[in-house]
Amino acid sequence: MIASSFTVDELIRAVDRLAAAAQTFAAELNEADGRLGDGDLGITLSNGWRTATQKLAGARPADIAGVFLTCAVAFQESSASSFGTLTATGLMAAAKASSGRTEMKPAEISGLLRAAMDAMARRGKAEPGDKTVLDSLAAMAAATASDGTADDLRKVCVRAASEAAELFRSKANRIGRARMFGEDSIGIVDPGMLAALRMAESV
Amino acid sequence: MKKIINSSVDFVDEMLDGLCSAHPEYYAQPERRVLVRSVPARDGKVGIVTGGGSGHLPIFAGYVGPGLLDGAAIGDVFASPSSDQIRKAIKHAERGAGVLCLYGNYGGDVMNFDMACEMLELEGLRTETVLVADDVASAPLAEAAKRRGVAGMVYAFKIAGAAADAGGDLTAVTAAARKAAESCRSIGVALSPCIVPQAGKPSFTLGEDEIEMGMGIHGERGIWRNRLRSADEIVDEMVARLREDMPLASGQRVSVLVNSLGATPPEELYVAFRRVRQILEADGIRIVMPLVGRYATSMEMAGMSLTVMALDDELETWLKAPAACAFWQVAGDRA
Repeated sequence: MIASSFTVDELIRAVDRLAAAAQTFAAELNEADGRLGDGDLGITLSNGWRTATQKLAGARPADIAGVFLTCAVAFQESSASSFGTLTATGLMAAAKASSGRTEMKPAEISGLLRAAMDAMARRGKAEPGDKTVLDSLAAMAAATASDGTADDLRKVCVRAASEAAELFRSKANRIGRARMFGEDSIGIVDPGMLAALRMAESV
Repeated sequence: MKKIINSSVDFVDEMLDGLCSAHPEYYAQPERRVLVRSVPARDGKVGIVTGGGSGHLPIFAGYVGPGLLDGAAIGDVFASPSSDQIRKAIKHAERGAGVLCLYGNYGGDVMNFDMACEMLELEGLRTETVLVADDVASAPLAEAAKRRGVAGMVYAFKIAGAAADAGGDLTAVTAAARKAAESCRSIGVALSPCIVPQAGKPSFTLGEDEIEMGMGIHGERGIWRNRLRSADEIVDEMVARLREDMPLASGQRVSVLVNSLGATPPEELYVAFRRVRQILEADGIRIVMPLVGRYATSMEMAGMSLTVMALDDELETWLKAPAACAFWQVAGDRA
Protein backbone atom coordinates (compact mmCIF):
# COMPACT_ATOMS: atom_id res chain seq x y z
CA MET A 1 0.00 0.00 0.00
CA ILE A 2 1.63 3.18 -1.16
CA ALA A 3 1.28 6.50 0.52
CA SER A 4 3.01 9.15 -1.53
CA SER A 5 4.68 7.67 -4.59
CA PHE A 6 4.96 4.53 -6.68
CA THR A 7 8.18 2.89 -7.79
CA VAL A 8 9.40 0.55 -10.53
CA ASP A 9 8.83 -2.49 -8.32
CA GLU A 10 5.34 -1.41 -7.37
CA LEU A 11 4.48 -0.87 -11.00
CA ILE A 12 5.78 -4.34 -11.85
CA ARG A 13 3.61 -5.80 -9.08
CA ALA A 14 0.63 -3.95 -10.55
CA VAL A 15 1.33 -5.57 -13.93
CA ASP A 16 1.50 -8.97 -12.21
CA ARG A 17 -1.89 -8.33 -10.60
CA LEU A 18 -3.33 -7.30 -13.98
CA ALA A 19 -1.93 -10.41 -15.64
CA ALA A 20 -3.45 -12.67 -12.98
CA ALA A 21 -6.83 -10.94 -13.06
CA ALA A 22 -6.94 -10.88 -16.85
CA GLN A 23 -6.93 -14.68 -16.98
CA THR A 24 -10.19 -14.50 -15.02
CA PHE A 25 -11.99 -11.60 -16.69
CA ALA A 26 -10.96 -12.72 -20.21
CA ALA A 27 -14.03 -14.89 -20.73
CA GLU A 28 -16.41 -12.07 -19.80
CA LEU A 29 -14.68 -9.68 -22.21
CA ASN A 30 -14.62 -12.24 -25.03
CA GLU A 31 -18.34 -12.65 -24.66
CA ALA A 32 -19.04 -8.92 -24.51
CA ASP A 33 -16.85 -8.35 -27.57
CA GLY A 34 -18.46 -11.25 -29.45
CA ARG A 35 -21.77 -9.36 -29.49
CA LEU A 36 -20.32 -6.45 -31.48
CA GLY A 37 -16.95 -7.63 -32.75
CA ASP A 38 -14.87 -10.73 -33.23
CA GLY A 39 -14.83 -11.81 -29.61
CA ASP A 40 -11.10 -11.77 -28.99
CA LEU A 41 -10.86 -8.86 -26.56
CA GLY A 42 -10.32 -11.02 -23.48
CA ILE A 43 -7.69 -13.13 -25.25
CA THR A 44 -5.91 -9.96 -26.39
CA LEU A 45 -5.66 -8.64 -22.84
CA SER A 46 -4.83 -11.91 -21.10
CA ASN A 47 -2.10 -12.73 -23.66
CA GLY A 48 -0.74 -9.18 -23.56
CA TRP A 49 -0.49 -8.87 -19.79
CA ARG A 50 0.84 -12.41 -19.41
CA THR A 51 3.61 -11.70 -21.94
CA ALA A 52 4.35 -8.43 -20.14
CA THR A 53 4.67 -10.05 -16.76
CA GLN A 54 6.95 -12.74 -18.21
CA LYS A 55 9.18 -10.15 -19.85
CA LEU A 56 9.37 -8.11 -16.65
CA ALA A 57 10.30 -11.20 -14.65
CA GLY A 58 13.10 -11.84 -17.13
CA ALA A 59 14.61 -8.37 -17.09
CA ARG A 60 13.73 -5.70 -14.53
CA PRO A 61 13.70 -2.26 -16.18
CA ALA A 62 15.68 0.51 -14.48
CA ASP A 63 12.93 3.11 -14.64
CA ILE A 64 9.19 3.49 -14.88
CA ALA A 65 9.36 4.26 -18.59
CA GLY A 66 11.10 0.91 -19.07
CA VAL A 67 8.18 -0.92 -17.46
CA PHE A 68 5.67 0.79 -19.74
CA LEU A 69 7.84 0.16 -22.80
CA THR A 70 8.21 -3.53 -21.92
CA CYS A 71 4.43 -3.78 -21.64
CA ALA A 72 3.99 -1.96 -24.96
CA VAL A 73 6.34 -4.39 -26.73
CA ALA A 74 4.55 -7.33 -25.06
CA PHE A 75 1.22 -6.19 -26.52
CA GLN A 76 2.79 -5.59 -29.91
CA GLU A 77 4.27 -9.06 -30.03
CA SER A 78 1.36 -10.99 -28.59
CA SER A 79 -1.56 -9.40 -30.35
CA ALA A 80 -2.65 -8.23 -33.76
CA SER A 81 -6.05 -6.97 -32.71
CA SER A 82 -6.86 -3.28 -32.81
CA PHE A 83 -7.37 -3.16 -29.06
CA GLY A 84 -3.96 -4.75 -28.50
CA THR A 85 -2.26 -2.24 -30.77
CA LEU A 86 -4.12 0.63 -29.12
CA THR A 87 -3.06 -0.63 -25.70
CA ALA A 88 0.54 -0.80 -26.94
CA THR A 89 0.17 2.73 -28.28
CA GLY A 90 -1.10 4.01 -24.92
CA LEU A 91 1.67 2.24 -23.02
CA MET A 92 4.26 3.70 -25.39
CA ALA A 93 2.90 7.18 -24.76
CA ALA A 94 3.04 6.55 -21.01
CA ALA A 95 6.67 5.44 -21.43
CA LYS A 96 7.54 8.64 -23.27
CA ALA A 97 5.81 10.69 -20.56
CA SER A 98 7.71 8.96 -17.73
CA SER A 99 11.15 8.87 -19.30
CA GLY A 100 13.98 8.61 -16.75
CA ARG A 101 11.68 8.52 -13.71
CA THR A 102 12.21 5.92 -10.98
CA GLU A 103 9.26 7.02 -8.90
CA MET A 104 6.15 9.07 -9.53
CA LYS A 105 3.44 10.63 -7.41
CA PRO A 106 0.01 9.01 -7.70
CA ALA A 107 -1.47 12.26 -8.97
CA GLU A 108 0.91 12.10 -11.93
CA ILE A 109 -1.09 9.09 -13.16
CA SER A 110 -3.59 11.59 -14.51
CA GLY A 111 -0.98 12.94 -16.93
CA LEU A 112 0.02 9.44 -18.02
CA LEU A 113 -3.61 8.51 -18.66
CA ARG A 114 -4.07 11.68 -20.70
CA ALA A 115 -0.90 11.05 -22.72
CA ALA A 116 -2.07 7.50 -23.42
CA MET A 117 -5.53 8.72 -24.36
CA ASP A 118 -4.21 11.35 -26.79
CA ALA A 119 -1.89 8.89 -28.53
CA MET A 120 -4.62 6.26 -28.78
CA ALA A 121 -7.07 8.81 -30.18
CA ARG A 122 -4.58 9.72 -32.91
CA ARG A 123 -3.80 6.11 -33.80
CA GLY A 124 -7.39 4.91 -33.65
CA LYS A 125 -8.76 8.09 -35.33
CA ALA A 126 -11.39 8.29 -32.63
CA GLU A 127 -12.44 11.05 -30.26
CA PRO A 128 -13.82 11.14 -26.74
CA GLY A 129 -17.58 10.76 -27.09
CA ASP A 130 -17.41 7.96 -29.66
CA LYS A 131 -18.16 5.36 -26.94
CA THR A 132 -14.76 3.75 -26.77
CA VAL A 133 -12.06 3.08 -24.17
CA LEU A 134 -11.03 6.72 -24.72
CA ASP A 135 -14.09 7.79 -22.76
CA SER A 136 -13.01 5.60 -19.85
CA LEU A 137 -9.49 7.04 -19.98
CA ALA A 138 -10.83 10.58 -20.13
CA ALA A 139 -13.02 9.94 -17.07
CA MET A 140 -10.14 8.37 -15.14
CA ALA A 141 -7.69 11.12 -16.12
CA ALA A 142 -10.13 13.77 -14.91
CA ALA A 143 -10.87 11.91 -11.67
CA THR A 144 -7.21 11.36 -10.75
CA ALA A 145 -6.06 14.93 -11.30
CA SER A 146 -6.27 15.76 -7.59
CA ASP A 147 -3.79 14.46 -5.02
CA GLY A 148 -4.37 11.32 -3.04
CA THR A 149 -2.82 8.02 -2.05
CA ALA A 150 -2.49 5.24 -4.56
CA ASP A 151 -5.33 3.36 -2.87
CA ASP A 152 -7.62 6.38 -3.08
CA LEU A 153 -6.74 6.79 -6.72
CA ARG A 154 -7.50 3.16 -7.48
CA LYS A 155 -10.97 3.61 -6.00
CA VAL A 156 -11.41 6.87 -7.88
CA CYS A 157 -10.39 5.16 -11.14
CA VAL A 158 -12.80 2.29 -10.64
CA ARG A 159 -15.65 4.69 -9.90
CA ALA A 160 -14.81 6.87 -12.92
CA ALA A 161 -14.52 3.88 -15.28
CA SER A 162 -17.74 2.41 -13.95
CA GLU A 163 -19.67 5.68 -14.28
CA ALA A 164 -18.33 6.24 -17.79
CA ALA A 165 -19.36 2.75 -18.89
CA GLU A 166 -22.90 3.30 -17.59
CA LEU A 167 -23.12 6.84 -18.99
CA PHE A 168 -22.34 5.59 -22.50
CA ARG A 169 -24.46 2.43 -22.27
CA SER A 170 -27.46 4.27 -23.73
CA LYS A 171 -25.47 5.76 -26.62
CA ALA A 172 -24.56 4.22 -29.99
CA ASN A 173 -20.99 3.31 -30.93
CA ARG A 174 -19.66 5.83 -33.41
CA ILE A 175 -16.46 4.12 -34.56
CA GLY A 176 -14.83 0.76 -35.12
CA ARG A 177 -16.47 -2.53 -35.86
CA ALA A 178 -19.21 -1.87 -33.31
CA ARG A 179 -20.24 1.15 -35.44
CA MET A 180 -21.65 -1.28 -38.02
CA PHE A 181 -24.20 -2.30 -35.42
CA GLY A 182 -25.25 1.35 -35.01
CA GLU A 183 -28.48 1.52 -33.03
CA ASP A 184 -28.07 -2.11 -31.99
CA SER A 185 -25.15 -1.06 -29.79
CA ILE A 186 -27.48 1.11 -27.69
CA GLY A 187 -28.05 -0.45 -24.28
CA ILE A 188 -24.82 -2.43 -24.41
CA VAL A 189 -21.74 -1.43 -22.42
CA ASP A 190 -18.87 -0.93 -24.87
CA PRO A 191 -16.51 -3.91 -24.52
CA GLY A 192 -13.45 -1.65 -24.48
CA MET A 193 -14.95 0.43 -21.68
CA LEU A 194 -15.75 -2.74 -19.78
CA ALA A 195 -12.11 -3.81 -20.24
CA ALA A 196 -10.94 -0.47 -18.79
CA LEU A 197 -13.16 -1.02 -15.76
CA ARG A 198 -11.95 -4.58 -15.17
CA MET A 199 -8.34 -3.43 -15.44
CA ALA A 200 -8.88 -0.52 -13.05
CA GLU A 201 -10.42 -2.96 -10.56
CA SER A 202 -7.48 -5.33 -10.67
CA VAL A 203 -4.47 -3.03 -10.97
CA MET B 1 -18.08 -26.64 -42.07
CA LYS B 2 -16.57 -28.75 -44.83
CA LYS B 3 -12.94 -27.82 -45.51
CA ILE B 4 -9.72 -29.61 -46.36
CA ILE B 5 -7.84 -28.59 -43.24
CA ASN B 6 -6.15 -30.29 -40.30
CA SER B 7 -7.14 -27.82 -37.62
CA SER B 8 -8.40 -24.28 -37.67
CA VAL B 9 -5.53 -23.24 -35.41
CA ASP B 10 -2.84 -24.52 -37.81
CA PHE B 11 -4.65 -23.46 -40.99
CA VAL B 12 -2.68 -20.28 -41.72
CA ASP B 13 0.76 -21.63 -40.86
CA GLU B 14 0.24 -24.84 -42.83
CA MET B 15 -1.04 -22.82 -45.79
CA LEU B 16 2.07 -20.59 -45.77
CA ASP B 17 4.33 -23.61 -45.36
CA GLY B 18 2.72 -25.19 -48.41
CA LEU B 19 2.86 -21.97 -50.41
CA CYS B 20 6.60 -21.54 -49.80
CA SER B 21 7.48 -25.18 -50.43
CA ALA B 22 5.42 -25.30 -53.64
CA HIS B 23 7.02 -22.14 -55.02
CA PRO B 24 10.51 -21.80 -53.53
CA GLU B 25 11.56 -19.83 -56.60
CA TYR B 26 9.35 -16.97 -55.37
CA TYR B 27 8.66 -17.23 -51.66
CA ALA B 28 10.55 -17.63 -48.41
CA GLN B 29 9.34 -17.31 -44.83
CA PRO B 30 12.31 -16.15 -42.73
CA GLU B 31 10.10 -15.60 -39.70
CA ARG B 32 6.67 -16.86 -38.80
CA ARG B 33 4.03 -15.26 -41.02
CA VAL B 34 6.52 -12.94 -42.69
CA LEU B 35 6.76 -13.73 -46.39
CA VAL B 36 9.56 -12.31 -48.54
CA ARG B 37 11.09 -12.91 -51.95
CA SER B 38 13.33 -16.00 -51.93
CA VAL B 39 15.71 -14.03 -54.16
CA PRO B 40 15.87 -10.55 -52.62
CA ALA B 41 15.74 -7.45 -54.80
CA ARG B 42 18.92 -5.57 -55.67
CA ASP B 43 20.37 -3.10 -53.19
CA GLY B 44 19.07 0.41 -53.68
CA LYS B 45 15.59 -0.62 -54.80
CA VAL B 46 12.68 0.81 -52.82
CA GLY B 47 11.08 -2.00 -50.84
CA ILE B 48 7.32 -2.59 -51.06
CA VAL B 49 5.53 -4.34 -48.24
CA THR B 50 1.91 -5.28 -47.87
CA GLY B 51 -0.03 -7.14 -45.23
CA GLY B 52 -3.42 -8.19 -44.05
CA GLY B 53 -5.49 -11.15 -43.06
CA SER B 54 -5.28 -14.62 -44.56
CA GLY B 55 -8.08 -16.01 -46.67
CA HIS B 56 -7.65 -13.79 -49.72
CA LEU B 57 -5.02 -15.54 -51.85
CA PRO B 58 -3.38 -14.49 -54.08
CA ILE B 59 -3.76 -11.32 -51.93
CA PHE B 60 -1.51 -10.65 -49.95
CA ALA B 61 1.43 -13.05 -49.82
CA GLY B 62 0.90 -14.29 -53.36
CA TYR B 63 1.98 -11.01 -54.93
CA VAL B 64 5.48 -11.16 -53.49
CA GLY B 65 7.81 -11.50 -56.45
CA PRO B 66 9.96 -9.64 -58.99
CA GLY B 67 8.20 -6.61 -60.42
CA LEU B 68 5.69 -6.77 -57.58
CA LEU B 69 6.15 -6.84 -53.78
CA ASP B 70 9.16 -7.51 -51.57
CA GLY B 71 7.37 -8.71 -48.47
CA ALA B 72 4.06 -9.39 -46.78
CA ALA B 73 2.97 -9.74 -43.16
CA ILE B 74 0.21 -12.31 -42.80
CA GLY B 75 -2.47 -12.36 -40.12
CA ASP B 76 -5.02 -14.95 -39.12
CA VAL B 77 -7.99 -15.41 -41.43
CA PHE B 78 -9.55 -11.97 -41.98
CA ALA B 79 -7.45 -10.50 -39.14
CA SER B 80 -4.60 -8.02 -39.22
CA PRO B 81 -1.02 -9.19 -38.79
CA SER B 82 0.62 -7.88 -35.62
CA SER B 83 2.71 -4.72 -35.73
CA ASP B 84 5.65 -6.91 -34.77
CA GLN B 85 5.25 -9.07 -37.91
CA ILE B 86 4.83 -5.97 -40.04
CA ARG B 87 7.98 -4.45 -38.56
CA LYS B 88 9.91 -7.62 -39.43
CA ALA B 89 8.54 -7.71 -42.99
CA ILE B 90 9.58 -4.09 -43.52
CA LYS B 91 13.08 -4.73 -42.18
CA HIS B 92 13.50 -7.68 -44.55
CA ALA B 93 12.33 -5.55 -47.49
CA GLU B 94 14.68 -2.67 -46.73
CA ARG B 95 17.43 -2.38 -49.36
CA GLY B 96 18.76 1.02 -48.41
CA ALA B 97 16.17 3.12 -50.21
CA GLY B 98 13.26 3.03 -47.76
CA VAL B 99 10.08 1.01 -47.82
CA LEU B 100 6.59 1.72 -49.11
CA CYS B 101 3.76 0.16 -47.12
CA LEU B 102 0.94 -0.55 -49.57
CA TYR B 103 -2.20 -2.24 -48.31
CA GLY B 104 -5.96 -2.11 -48.02
CA ASN B 105 -7.78 0.42 -45.88
CA TYR B 106 -8.89 -1.59 -42.83
CA GLY B 107 -8.77 -0.15 -39.31
CA GLY B 108 -6.74 -2.93 -37.71
CA ASP B 109 -4.20 -3.09 -40.53
CA VAL B 110 -3.77 0.70 -40.53
CA MET B 111 -3.13 0.78 -36.78
CA ASN B 112 -0.65 -2.06 -36.86
CA PHE B 113 1.23 -0.69 -39.88
CA ASP B 114 1.35 2.80 -38.29
CA MET B 115 2.64 1.30 -35.04
CA ALA B 116 5.32 -0.68 -36.90
CA CYS B 117 6.41 2.40 -38.86
CA GLU B 118 6.62 4.43 -35.63
CA MET B 119 8.90 1.81 -34.08
CA LEU B 120 11.09 1.69 -37.22
CA GLU B 121 11.31 5.46 -37.33
CA LEU B 122 13.10 5.24 -33.97
CA GLU B 123 15.64 3.01 -35.73
CA GLY B 124 16.04 5.51 -38.57
CA LEU B 125 14.26 3.51 -41.24
CA ARG B 126 12.26 5.53 -43.79
CA THR B 127 8.76 4.39 -44.66
CA GLU B 128 5.85 5.79 -46.62
CA THR B 129 2.27 4.56 -46.69
CA VAL B 130 -0.35 4.34 -49.42
CA LEU B 131 -3.76 2.91 -48.60
CA VAL B 132 -5.88 1.29 -51.27
CA ALA B 133 -9.53 2.26 -50.84
CA ASP B 134 -11.22 1.22 -54.09
CA ASP B 135 -14.53 -0.33 -52.94
CA VAL B 136 -17.17 2.19 -54.04
CA ALA B 137 -19.90 0.35 -52.12
CA SER B 138 -18.19 0.80 -48.75
CA ALA B 139 -18.65 4.59 -48.45
CA PRO B 140 -19.93 7.44 -50.64
CA LEU B 141 -17.54 9.42 -52.85
CA ALA B 142 -17.60 12.32 -50.37
CA GLU B 143 -16.07 9.97 -47.79
CA ALA B 144 -13.79 8.13 -50.20
CA ALA B 145 -10.99 7.94 -47.61
CA LYS B 146 -13.20 5.64 -45.51
CA ARG B 147 -13.59 3.10 -48.30
CA ARG B 148 -12.19 -0.39 -47.94
CA GLY B 149 -9.48 -1.78 -50.15
CA VAL B 150 -10.36 -4.77 -52.35
CA ALA B 151 -9.14 -6.09 -55.72
CA GLY B 152 -7.74 -2.69 -56.75
CA MET B 153 -4.78 -3.67 -54.59
CA VAL B 154 -3.65 -5.97 -57.39
CA TYR B 155 -3.20 -3.01 -59.74
CA ALA B 156 -1.56 -0.92 -57.03
CA PHE B 157 0.96 -3.70 -56.31
CA LYS B 158 1.73 -4.04 -60.02
CA ILE B 159 2.19 -0.33 -60.65
CA ALA B 160 4.27 0.30 -57.51
CA GLY B 161 6.41 -2.76 -58.24
CA ALA B 162 7.12 -1.55 -61.77
CA ALA B 163 7.93 1.98 -60.58
CA ALA B 164 10.37 0.58 -58.00
CA ASP B 165 11.97 -1.70 -60.61
CA ALA B 166 12.38 1.29 -62.92
CA GLY B 167 14.62 2.85 -60.29
CA GLY B 168 12.26 5.35 -58.74
CA ASP B 169 13.11 6.63 -55.25
CA LEU B 170 10.74 6.32 -52.31
CA THR B 171 8.94 9.54 -53.22
CA ALA B 172 8.46 8.46 -56.83
CA VAL B 173 7.31 4.94 -55.96
CA THR B 174 4.89 6.35 -53.38
CA ALA B 175 3.49 8.75 -55.99
CA ALA B 176 3.07 5.91 -58.50
CA ALA B 177 1.25 3.75 -55.96
CA ARG B 178 -1.01 6.63 -54.98
CA LYS B 179 -1.84 7.37 -58.60
CA ALA B 180 -2.69 3.71 -59.19
CA ALA B 181 -4.83 3.53 -56.06
CA GLU B 182 -6.69 6.69 -57.02
CA SER B 183 -7.29 5.42 -60.55
CA CYS B 184 -9.04 2.23 -59.41
CA ARG B 185 -12.68 1.64 -58.55
CA SER B 186 -14.17 -1.70 -57.55
CA ILE B 187 -17.49 -3.21 -56.60
CA GLY B 188 -18.40 -6.75 -55.60
CA VAL B 189 -21.44 -8.96 -55.64
CA ALA B 190 -21.79 -11.94 -53.30
CA LEU B 191 -23.77 -15.10 -54.06
CA SER B 192 -22.88 -17.24 -51.05
CA PRO B 193 -20.79 -16.79 -47.89
CA CYS B 194 -17.51 -18.25 -46.76
CA ILE B 195 -16.62 -19.76 -43.41
CA VAL B 196 -13.75 -18.53 -41.25
CA PRO B 197 -12.22 -21.80 -39.97
CA GLN B 198 -11.95 -20.62 -36.38
CA ALA B 199 -15.58 -19.45 -36.42
CA GLY B 200 -16.84 -22.68 -37.96
CA LYS B 201 -20.00 -21.14 -39.38
CA PRO B 202 -20.80 -18.60 -42.12
CA SER B 203 -20.45 -14.95 -41.10
CA PHE B 204 -23.65 -14.13 -43.00
CA THR B 205 -26.37 -16.00 -44.83
CA LEU B 206 -27.93 -15.41 -48.23
CA GLY B 207 -31.10 -17.09 -49.42
CA GLU B 208 -30.83 -19.77 -52.13
CA ASP B 209 -31.93 -17.30 -54.84
CA GLU B 210 -30.47 -14.13 -53.27
CA ILE B 211 -27.44 -12.01 -54.09
CA GLU B 212 -26.01 -8.99 -52.31
CA MET B 213 -24.70 -6.10 -54.38
CA GLY B 214 -21.76 -4.24 -52.88
CA MET B 215 -21.01 -6.73 -50.14
CA GLY B 216 -17.51 -6.49 -48.70
CA ILE B 217 -14.97 -9.28 -48.88
CA HIS B 218 -15.46 -10.14 -45.22
CA GLY B 219 -19.24 -10.06 -45.50
CA GLU B 220 -19.59 -6.36 -44.72
CA ARG B 221 -23.06 -5.05 -45.48
CA GLY B 222 -23.63 -4.08 -49.13
CA ILE B 223 -26.01 -1.83 -51.04
CA TRP B 224 -28.96 -4.12 -51.63
CA ARG B 225 -29.97 -7.74 -51.28
CA ASN B 226 -32.44 -9.22 -53.73
CA ARG B 227 -33.30 -12.02 -56.14
CA LEU B 228 -30.55 -13.32 -58.39
CA ARG B 229 -30.66 -11.77 -61.84
CA SER B 230 -28.89 -12.34 -65.17
CA ALA B 231 -25.16 -11.86 -65.65
CA ASP B 232 -25.76 -8.93 -68.00
CA GLU B 233 -28.06 -7.18 -65.53
CA ILE B 234 -25.56 -7.66 -62.70
CA VAL B 235 -22.67 -6.40 -64.82
CA ASP B 236 -24.66 -3.45 -66.13
CA GLU B 237 -25.34 -2.25 -62.61
CA MET B 238 -21.75 -2.79 -61.47
CA VAL B 239 -20.29 -0.91 -64.43
CA ALA B 240 -22.82 1.90 -63.99
CA ARG B 241 -21.93 2.29 -60.32
CA LEU B 242 -18.21 2.40 -61.08
CA ARG B 243 -18.66 4.95 -63.86
CA GLU B 244 -20.88 7.09 -61.71
CA ASP B 245 -18.01 7.28 -59.26
CA MET B 246 -15.26 7.70 -61.87
CA PRO B 247 -16.59 9.08 -65.17
CA LEU B 248 -14.85 7.62 -68.23
CA ALA B 249 -14.79 9.65 -71.44
CA SER B 250 -14.84 8.14 -74.90
CA GLY B 251 -11.27 7.33 -75.91
CA GLN B 252 -10.24 6.58 -72.32
CA ARG B 253 -8.04 3.51 -71.92
CA VAL B 254 -8.74 1.26 -68.94
CA SER B 255 -7.74 -2.09 -67.58
CA VAL B 256 -10.49 -4.20 -66.04
CA LEU B 257 -10.24 -7.01 -63.54
CA VAL B 258 -13.13 -9.47 -63.39
CA ASN B 259 -12.30 -11.31 -60.20
CA SER B 260 -13.72 -14.40 -58.59
CA LEU B 261 -14.31 -14.13 -54.85
CA GLY B 262 -13.27 -17.77 -54.66
CA ALA B 263 -15.95 -20.23 -55.65
CA THR B 264 -17.23 -18.59 -58.82
CA PRO B 265 -15.66 -20.40 -61.79
CA PRO B 266 -13.79 -18.76 -64.69
CA GLU B 267 -16.63 -19.65 -67.06
CA GLU B 268 -18.99 -17.26 -65.26
CA LEU B 269 -16.28 -14.60 -65.10
CA TYR B 270 -15.88 -14.75 -68.89
CA VAL B 271 -19.65 -14.40 -69.34
CA ALA B 272 -19.37 -11.26 -67.19
CA PHE B 273 -16.27 -9.96 -68.97
CA ARG B 274 -18.02 -10.28 -72.33
CA ARG B 275 -20.68 -7.86 -71.11
CA VAL B 276 -18.17 -5.46 -69.53
CA ARG B 277 -16.37 -5.21 -72.86
CA GLN B 278 -19.61 -4.73 -74.82
CA ILE B 279 -20.82 -1.80 -72.78
CA LEU B 280 -17.45 -0.07 -72.37
CA GLU B 281 -16.50 -0.39 -76.03
CA ALA B 282 -19.94 0.82 -77.08
CA ASP B 283 -18.96 4.07 -75.37
CA GLY B 284 -15.54 4.20 -76.99
CA ILE B 285 -13.64 3.06 -73.89
CA ARG B 286 -10.69 0.84 -74.80
CA ILE B 287 -9.79 -2.14 -72.56
CA VAL B 288 -6.07 -2.82 -72.15
CA MET B 289 -4.66 -6.02 -70.63
CA PRO B 290 -7.85 -7.34 -69.00
CA LEU B 291 -7.50 -9.69 -66.06
CA VAL B 292 -10.05 -12.44 -65.56
CA GLY B 293 -9.66 -14.97 -62.78
CA ARG B 294 -8.95 -15.39 -59.08
CA TYR B 295 -6.88 -12.38 -58.05
CA ALA B 296 -8.42 -11.39 -54.68
CA THR B 297 -10.65 -13.90 -52.95
CA SER B 298 -12.54 -14.66 -49.76
CA MET B 299 -11.86 -18.39 -49.61
CA GLU B 300 -14.96 -20.25 -50.82
CA MET B 301 -17.23 -17.22 -51.12
CA ALA B 302 -19.18 -17.25 -54.39
CA GLY B 303 -19.45 -14.02 -56.29
CA MET B 304 -17.25 -11.65 -58.21
CA SER B 305 -15.81 -8.20 -58.13
CA LEU B 306 -15.20 -5.81 -60.96
CA THR B 307 -12.34 -3.34 -60.89
CA VAL B 308 -11.69 -0.63 -63.45
CA MET B 309 -8.39 1.23 -63.54
CA ALA B 310 -8.28 4.34 -65.68
CA LEU B 311 -4.93 4.45 -67.49
CA ASP B 312 -2.63 7.14 -68.75
CA ASP B 313 0.63 6.45 -70.64
CA GLU B 314 2.65 6.15 -67.45
CA LEU B 315 0.26 3.71 -65.73
CA GLU B 316 -0.07 1.67 -68.92
CA THR B 317 3.71 1.32 -69.23
CA TRP B 318 4.01 0.17 -65.62
CA LEU B 319 1.05 -2.18 -65.97
CA LYS B 320 2.76 -3.92 -68.91
CA ALA B 321 6.21 -4.08 -67.32
CA PRO B 322 7.51 -7.58 -66.55
CA ALA B 323 6.48 -9.16 -63.25
CA ALA B 324 6.15 -12.63 -61.84
CA CYS B 325 4.74 -14.48 -58.88
CA ALA B 326 3.20 -17.91 -58.52
CA PHE B 327 -0.26 -16.59 -59.42
CA TRP B 328 0.39 -14.06 -62.16
CA GLN B 329 3.10 -13.43 -64.72
CA VAL B 330 3.46 -10.50 -67.06
CA ALA B 331 5.96 -11.22 -69.80
CA GLY B 332 6.57 -7.59 -70.51
CA ASP B 333 5.86 -7.61 -74.23
CA ARG B 334 2.08 -7.87 -74.14
CA ALA B 335 0.20 -5.34 -76.24
